[in-house]
Amino acid sequence: MSTPPVLEAPGTGTSPLLEARRVTMRFGGLTAVDGVDLTVGRGQIVGLIGPNGAGKTTFFNCLTGLYVPTDGEVRFDGAALPPRPAKVTRAGVARTFQNIRLFANMTVLENVIVGRHTRTTAGLLSAIGRGPRYRREERESHSRAGELLEFVGLGGQGNQLARNLSYGAQRRLEIARALASEPKLLLLDEPTAGMNPQETRETEELVHAVRDQGIAVLVIEHDMRFIMNLCDRVAVLVQGSKLIEGAPGDVQADERVVEAYLGAPDDEPPPLDEGDEAATRDPNQERTA
Amino acid sequence: MTFTDFLQLLTDGLVLGSMYGLIAVGYTMVYGILQIINFAHGEIFMLGGFGALFAYAWVPALHEISLWAALPVMLVVGVLVSVTAAVAAERFTYRPLRNAPRLAPLITAIGLSLFLQQVVFNFFTLPGESMGITAPVPFPQLDGGPLRLGGVTVSYAAILTLVVAAGAMTGLTYFVGRTRTGRAMQATAQDPKTARLMGIDTDRVIVVAFAVGAVLAAVACLTQGLRLGSISYNMGFIAGLKGFTAAVLGGIGNIRGAMLGGVVLGVAESLASGLLPHLPSLQMFGGSVWKDVWAFVILIVVLLIRPQGLLGERIADRA
Amino acid sequence: MTIKMSSRVAQALTATGAALTLASPFLAWTWTAAYPGNLTLNGYPGGSQVVTLVTGLLATMFAAAAFGVPGVRRLAPAGAVRALRAASLAALTTTWVTVAAIAITLGGAVNVEPGGWLAAVAVLLLATGAHALADDTAESPPKGVRLPWAVEVALITVVFLAAMFVLTYGITTDSAEDFLAFLPAAGFGARALSVAGVTRRISEINARHRVAVAALASALVFPFTQTGDQYTAIADNILVFAAVALGLNIVVGLVGLLDLGYVAFLGTGAYSAALVSGSTFSTFHIAPWPFWATALLGMGVSLLAGLIIGAPTLRLHGDYLAIVTLGFGEIFRITVNNLDGTSGPSLTNGPNGINAIPDIELFGFDFGAPHTILGVSFGRFANYYLLLLAVIAVIVFVYARAGDSRVGRAWIALREDEKAATAMGIEGFRFKLLAFGLGASLAGLAGTVMAHLQTNAVPDNYKFADTAPPNSAFLLAAVVLGGMGTISGPLVGAALLYLIPAKFEFFNRYQMMLFGLALIVMMRFRPEGLVPDRKHQLEFHDEQVSGAEARQVAAEATV
Repeated sequence: MSTPPVLEAPGTGTSPLLEARRVTMRFGGLTAVDGVDLTVGRGQIVGLIGPNGAGKTTFFNCLTGLYVPTDGEVRFDGAALPPRPAKVTRAGVARTFQNIRLFANMTVLENVIVGRHTRTTAGLLSAIGRGPRYRREERESHSRAGELLEFVGLGGQGNQLARNLSYGAQRRLEIARALASEPKLLLLDEPTAGMNPQETRETEELVHAVRDQGIAVLVIEHDMRFIMNLCDRVAVLVQGSKLIEGAPGDVQADERVVEAYLGAPDDEPPPLDEGDEAATRDPNQERTA
Repeated sequence: MTFTDFLQLLTDGLVLGSMYGLIAVGYTMVYGILQIINFAHGEIFMLGGFGALFAYAWVPALHEISLWAALPVMLVVGVLVSVTAAVAAERFTYRPLRNAPRLAPLITAIGLSLFLQQVVFNFFTLPGESMGITAPVPFPQLDGGPLRLGGVTVSYAAILTLVVAAGAMTGLTYFVGRTRTGRAMQATAQDPKTARLMGIDTDRVIVVAFAVGAVLAAVACLTQGLRLGSISYNMGFIAGLKGFTAAVLGGIGNIRGAMLGGVVLGVAESLASGLLPHLPSLQMFGGSVWKDVWAFVILIVVLLIRPQGLLGERIADRA
Repeated sequence: MTIKMSSRVAQALTATGAALTLASPFLAWTWTAAYPGNLTLNGYPGGSQVVTLVTGLLATMFAAAAFGVPGVRRLAPAGAVRALRAASLAALTTTWVTVAAIAITLGGAVNVEPGGWLAAVAVLLLATGAHALADDTAESPPKGVRLPWAVEVALITVVFLAAMFVLTYGITTDSAEDFLAFLPAAGFGARALSVAGVTRRISEINARHRVAVAALASALVFPFTQTGDQYTAIADNILVFAAVALGLNIVVGLVGLLDLGYVAFLGTGAYSAALVSGSTFSTFHIAPWPFWATALLGMGVSLLAGLIIGAPTLRLHGDYLAIVTLGFGEIFRITVNNLDGTSGPSLTNGPNGINAIPDIELFGFDFGAPHTILGVSFGRFANYYLLLLAVIAVIVFVYARAGDSRVGRAWIALREDEKAATAMGIEGFRFKLLAFGLGASLAGLAGTVMAHLQTNAVPDNYKFADTAPPNSAFLLAAVVLGGMGTISGPLVGAALLYLIPAKFEFFNRYQMMLFGLALIVMMRFRPEGLVPDRKHQLEFHDEQVSGAEARQVAAEATV
């Protein structure tokens, strides 16, 4: 790296919000992610695509604090990303899961309120004492959670159990729960996996609405069409390395991308996922793991 | 404390540890495949001993011949009892709960453990006595005094324990590494879903894991009976705890680790109760009553500094 | 189960059965007073006949509701027929148990007088009729009418008093036969109220007014109904057991951590209290500490033990915790057994334990001496009863408030999906340790009272499994049997598990075996327990619950 790192106070506007520099992740002899650079600017929607096994999920885990990169660093909002998932959330990065992971036996509203965990402070003693501060905080959490449910289109369903929501609604609830932590960056892990075209379009609108609130979004997806419609910028990951990064049109036109996806130069890039994601539709399956 | 004394402690620990290792294998195999701790394994162990004793007590012909000759018969019956109990437990209590929340199989295992223990307590009968037992029951003893090898005293039972443990481990290594079923077992442990897709009957593999664990546990209990001269209906509790500690120590899910963990635990226990009386500040804790406490302290320390165990790998998040 | 016959016949059968069931307790069921409870009098029900009468009344009430008698229908908002069936089964089982017990204990069916036969036939008619009526279960029960505040509170108090009366009856039965007749009646009776929608209505009202105070107030009545100490002592033991089970339920029910050595924390509290009690057997020859200080000490020492056990294990997979706590429970017992000055340092007086612990004296109130309140003399056990109620009130208060807060939501989230919870910023280890420590210190608190109540602290009281509660296996069973994650579940579970061994001494030998079997069967067929947390029930039986029901469930608070 020839350019010196830009030192800036956290929260100021000019530096990129998320900056991954030469992130490398090795497991034993296997290099899953190899020197990937990626930046997400404030208010941007960035897409990360790549065929199965390209290292997307591993890279994603480096951004959520689940893995600490073997090499390179991730800076968020002008500071190094903390090494634990809980702290990453506190720092302002929220995420959803590829296989929906809601708190299935809590109500929809409670799910969102749990999302506010890092923005609330009540401990055991204040929960038992229930002073005015505690009650104010609870009230705020409830009303904020209610607003978020309205925002994602789940208003009026707050008292249902999360497990009883339809599939699309569960996905939206996951986004609401993530937004409840008041993130600056939202990481979406295959948000349209298993969705029909109608639901996919709704998700697209929702992500735009999130961005309009000033929250940057990084999306991992298989569905090319979705990514191309949605993103300001797209990066393609192939075999652990970044193949290309640029505007959706440029990426789509690039022959190497087509080749990486299909191994053949001709076909147009299709959405690749419908079949293999159907198996993960049921969030309850997760529980057996 | 002479060097010979030290060697004696080491030998005793090795024998004890081999037995722990045999028990630990059962925990580790089931955990490796199902990710559940089969708490009732201690009782499976105990049943093996009682099965063997039952055969000996009720077949008068066995009293006429040398115990060495009777041992195979006792072993077969003990193994049969243990394996039947383990397989039935898997089939009727664990299998229906495979998709249940985590706590369900654990609580079931506790219930199973109490149940099996009490079945023996209430119904095990020796010839000429009323039904049920309350105190430890005497176990037949091998003839012939202890051997003395360069100042170290070893009983025949102890030697048998070492030989059996070594044999069992060799057989097990061959079974898991070389046979079809063994490889199916490895595959299932790696990824049950894929294994099933590849045509492996995972239900059968699970049953085999329970059964193999039960065989080794029964063997272990037989050797313990021979060494200590008695068995009791509640012996499975502490033995199970030790076996599990050994499995964790070696790295749970790792079969060779289980044996290694057993040996390390046995030696540590033996040294703790043998050496501590010679340390001025800790001599109060050197008595044999404290050895279980030391085993437990070892477990805590291992969990603190090396939770994956001696030979274990970092447990990956499978979800 | 439904029996096929015309509705007219079914109604006639039900009505006849109910009428005869109500009449039969007034006849003699046997000729000799040798059978407990004296069932020989005409015109005056005694012993188990009273249970038949009460269940008969319950069935009659639901029958009237099922027949559409004006005004009565409101007593079964969710549908009367299923409630009637359950009530008829209550009458059937209790009556048949009694009649069979008369025949068996007195040596032959000849000992049953015509009244007994009549009763047996009457309840059979009633049950047959009830099961032949068409099911009228409402799809979605109507919302309850709001009554004036005072009426609702009075209603709740009456309900709690009735429940207390039933429980008192169970505690004070003095023969196995009576208790055996009581158990199924209570069980089916509770089921009848539940399917009728009564319990749901009660919990709605309860949620509106937060009248936990009413429950407490009705529990306060118990000592006033007792003349001697015999049953109060039993009640005290149940309360100790229940308090510890409630504490365990935080750890097991809310956070989903299996603690198998919980009784050790009770023991830690008890030994702490014993050591500073001023007992001559204590190794500290000091003046007795005031009880508030003892209680704090007990909680503190147990908390410390909890942190020592929890800190290394709570970072790991949950199963490790189970086995480490199991080990800890055993180690605790071994340790206190050997800290006797010969096989270890002198602290606990070894297997003999610390005896002759003096009674608690709190702000000048001597718990050992009788006091007279409202003309009723309160003996030693009644004093402790009140103290234990206060302890339980504290635990319930902490449980309810912590459970429904940011902390409680974090706990439940961790139970539901730890990875997702962590992604929400919940530091799993910290919150688990918090729950574990809280559970340990509540057990420690109960332990301090227990030491004074029993006047001793001995190692054998704190085993993993034993024939009498509290021990770790019983505690876990109380939580599982009653219902994980609820407040009333462990209370019910503790009462049952204490009373069953105490009343049926003849099967003591098989008790632990049946117990193990019960745990296995419960996990297989009814893992949510007798009093399920409705959300938990969904978790265990997700395929059987309709969305509509789930919606209502979600709106309800855990009672």
